[in-house]
Amino acid sequence: MLFAGLIGTSAALLLCAVMVATTRNLVHCVFWLAGVLLLTAALFVMLGAPFLAGIQVVLYTGGVITLMLFGVMLTQRKPDTEVPMDSQRKGPAAVTALAMLCVLLAAIWETPELAGMTVSTQQIGATEVGQIFLSTQLLTFEVLSVLLLSAMIGAIVLVRKTDP
Amino acid sequence: MELQILLSIAAILFCVGIYGVISRRNAIGVLLSLELMANAVNLNLVIFARYGDGAVGQAFTLFAIALTVAEVVVGLALVVLLYRTRHDVLTELASDLKR
Amino acid sequence: MTPLILALIAVFAPLIVATLLVIVRPLRNTGKPAAGLSVIGAVASLVASLALFWQSVTGHVDVLQEVMWLPEGGYPMATIGVQLDGISVSMLVVVSLVATCVQVFSLEYMDSETDADYGRYFTWQSLFLFTMQGLVVSPNLLQLFICWELVGLCSYLLIGFYWQKPSAARAAVKAFWITKFADMGLLLGLIVQYVHTGGFGWDDTIVAGLASAGMVNVVAAMYFFAVMGKSAQFPLHVWLPDAMEGPTPVSALLHAATMVAAGVYLIVRAYPIFLAAEQVMPVMACIGGVTAFLAACMAIVQTDIKKVLAYSTCSQLGYMVAALGGGSLMGGYFHLTTHAFFKALLFLAAGSVIHAIHSNEISDMGGLWNRMKLTTVVFVIGSLALAGIPLLSGFYSKDLILESLYEATHHDPIYWIPFIACTVTAGLTAYYMGRVILLAFFGEESEKVSHAHEHGLAMSGPLVLLATLAVFAGFGGGQLGHLYGVHDYHFSVLHVTPVGGLAFLMALSGFGGAYALHTAGMGEGLKTSLVPLGDFIKSGPVDRIWVAIYRQVLHGVADALGWFDRYIIDGLINAFGAWCLNFGEQIRGMQTGRINDYMHVVLMAILILAAVSQVWLRMGGA
Repeated sequence: MLFAGLIGTSAALLLCAVMVATTRNLVHCVFWLAGVLLLTAALFVMLGAPFLAGIQVVLYTGGVITLMLFGVMLTQRKPDTEVPMDSQRKGPAAVTALAMLCVLLAAIWETPELAGMTVSTQQIGATEVGQIFLSTQLLTFEVLSVLLLSAMIGAIVLVRKTDP
Repeated sequence: MELQILLSIAAILFCVGIYGVISRRNAIGVLLSLELMANAVNLNLVIFARYGDGAVGQAFTLFAIALTVAEVVVGLALVVLLYRTRHDVLTELASDLKR
Repeated sequence: MTPLILALIAVFAPLIVATLLVIVRPLRNTGKPAAGLSVIGAVASLVASLALFWQSVTGHVDVLQEVMWLPEGGYPMATIGVQLDGISVSMLVVVSLVATCVQVFSLEYMDSETDADYGRYFTWQSLFLFTMQGLVVSPNLLQLFICWELVGLCSYLLIGFYWQKPSAARAAVKAFWITKFADMGLLLGLIVQYVHTGGFGWDDTIVAGLASAGMVNVVAAMYFFAVMGKSAQFPLHVWLPDAMEGPTPVSALLHAATMVAAGVYLIVRAYPIFLAAEQVMPVMACIGGVTAFLAACMAIVQTDIKKVLAYSTCSQLGYMVAALGGGSLMGGYFHLTTHAFFKALLFLAAGSVIHAIHSNEISDMGGLWNRMKLTTVVFVIGSLALAGIPLLSGFYSKDLILESLYEATHHDPIYWIPFIACTVTAGLTAYYMGRVILLAFFGEESEKVSHAHEHGLAMSGPLVLLATLAVFAGFGGGQLGHLYGVHDYHFSVLHVTPVGGLAFLMALSGFGGAYALHTAGMGEGLKTSLVPLGDFIKSGPVDRIWVAIYRQVLHGVADALGWFDRYIIDGLINAFGAWCLNFGEQIRGMQTGRINDYMHVVLMAILILAAVSQVWLRMGGA
């Protein structure tokens, strides 16, 4: 049952992803990405990471999509921008993507250790993740916060208008 | 078997992202495709978390999400800067280092 | 003083002077002091040579002193050094004596030159004397070859002394070119000799080695080819008339007495090799005879007094070569000695005339007897010696040649060719010299001659000395024979033989003919009928053939090779370079500047790495 749900969500996910990569209209593209992110959150839930799904929705779908929409708004040349796809690069892009896919699939399906792994029965929620953060991964946590701070400051510095 | 199918799904997602990154002309389009790739990575991590040490795996995923967000922020700031100078955000406009 | 030290002085005194004058330019540019230094060097060489000669005559000098030069595996591959025996000692005297006379003569002859040119002239004269003496004392053919080339260099420098004159510059190059072409024979001969015998000398072991390898004739032929160039034998004689562009004392020294005699000297020195080359000897004799005859014919029609003497030299060299080809070392070498004296005398006398009237042409001369008695007397003496009039030096040497050729006809009839040629040439020799004397020195006084006068002691002294030698040098024949190691030559003052008588008759008829045609005015019909032939000879057919070969063949080959070098060899290199540049331009296209493409490249790299690692893992790598 769960497996069928996984497969179904994944199919929808991949459909949205393909639309993201190919749509001409930039705004449509952003909304397709929103779809991808939401479906990913659903997948997270089905994979036993409900906390992460929440984070995904809040940060990604809420934050990143909004940011992207703003970006599209601020950088359009004319309303309802048509983004022409570069005809010269479609071929090589497809080739590279397919090649990469082959390599990855080869890695996945030919590694014998993966066949024997089983599902762990732990229930992971916010508590467990939080405990990890504040014990073994404390340094990473702190560094991450510094990183976020610097990203913010950097972004502000980059786009501020300097007075003449 | 189930693991491998799930991993394959993440792999396909990743490759769709690659296609998008290489072929899109608009800078924001590239960023969006980049998001797909990041998403595939996160999905991969979560899948492995289910089959191994779940807590650490999910913590790792959280880090990845945070990093991706930071990267998107800075990326969009650069796109805005690009727009300011060129009044358009096609990637070929940022090709001054050519020759 | 030991013979060795004397020899070293004789050879190196002029070198020291020459080096000094070459290096110290201010000294060279002083003019007269530089000349004086050069003359001192020449005199030193002369005194040392005379002392050596004295020692040879009174005692016995046989010195061979060699120094290892090119080492090869512990053994000397080549040596340089000094070999003193009768042959080299007498040549040392001849060379230094004529050189000293010429240098003293030049002191006055060249005094209208600037100081710098004057100094340059004497520098080259000293250098030449050194190289020639070095050639004379060479103990082996390798050192002889080196000095041979150096002598050629000095010839080039001196012929081209007036290098601003295009004809002089061309003449110098022509002389150098043709002798260099012939020198290939000497070089190849040396190589072949070394390969088969391992030595450069001419002693019996070398000859035996060559004979056993069957190479004697080949080597001797190659050496003779070089001699043909240096001693102006037919058909390589074409450079000698052109060499008259140099100053007259240079012509006297180099192109009469010494340098052109170097070829004959080579044959004399390496005679054991030639004696063993039975097929080459008759060829040598015939070429010598033909040269003697043809050159004499050419001398008859010349209007430039120096050219007459140049062709005469060529003709006499033919005599020497023919004698050596006939097996007579004494004949060839004795004639070389006497010829050096009387030919240098003739040239210097001609120089005296040229200096007085500032022209070489016989038509500008006439009646010089009235104005320049000394010059006329010595010129006549020289001509008589050249013609082989009895009691003068040329008589003994020339007769010896004819007699030895006649002897040679007994055992090989081919020697009739050189014998007849040389005998007839005796008559022609007398004829052309008689013509010059009658037209230039007697007859009506021409306009230019009326301003002529004798010159000072510097020019007259050498003339008198050489004239004396031209008269008396022949009497030393017996002594010279002993020196040369020739044991079957018996000298007698009144030397009467049928051959000698025939030669004398030819000489008389030659003089008579000259008198008849040019003074008595007879034979006008004969003269006019021979004019076409005369014109043909004067146009220099052999020279024209060589020029055509040079222009068409040599330049053609050079042009073809040049084309090949420019378009094929350079073309390949240039094509490669162009391809590199082109390739670079095309690769440059990879730098598009678009970040998509750069990301693409990175992804491809990751892709390749992943693929490789997967393959590696599958194949069982750690």
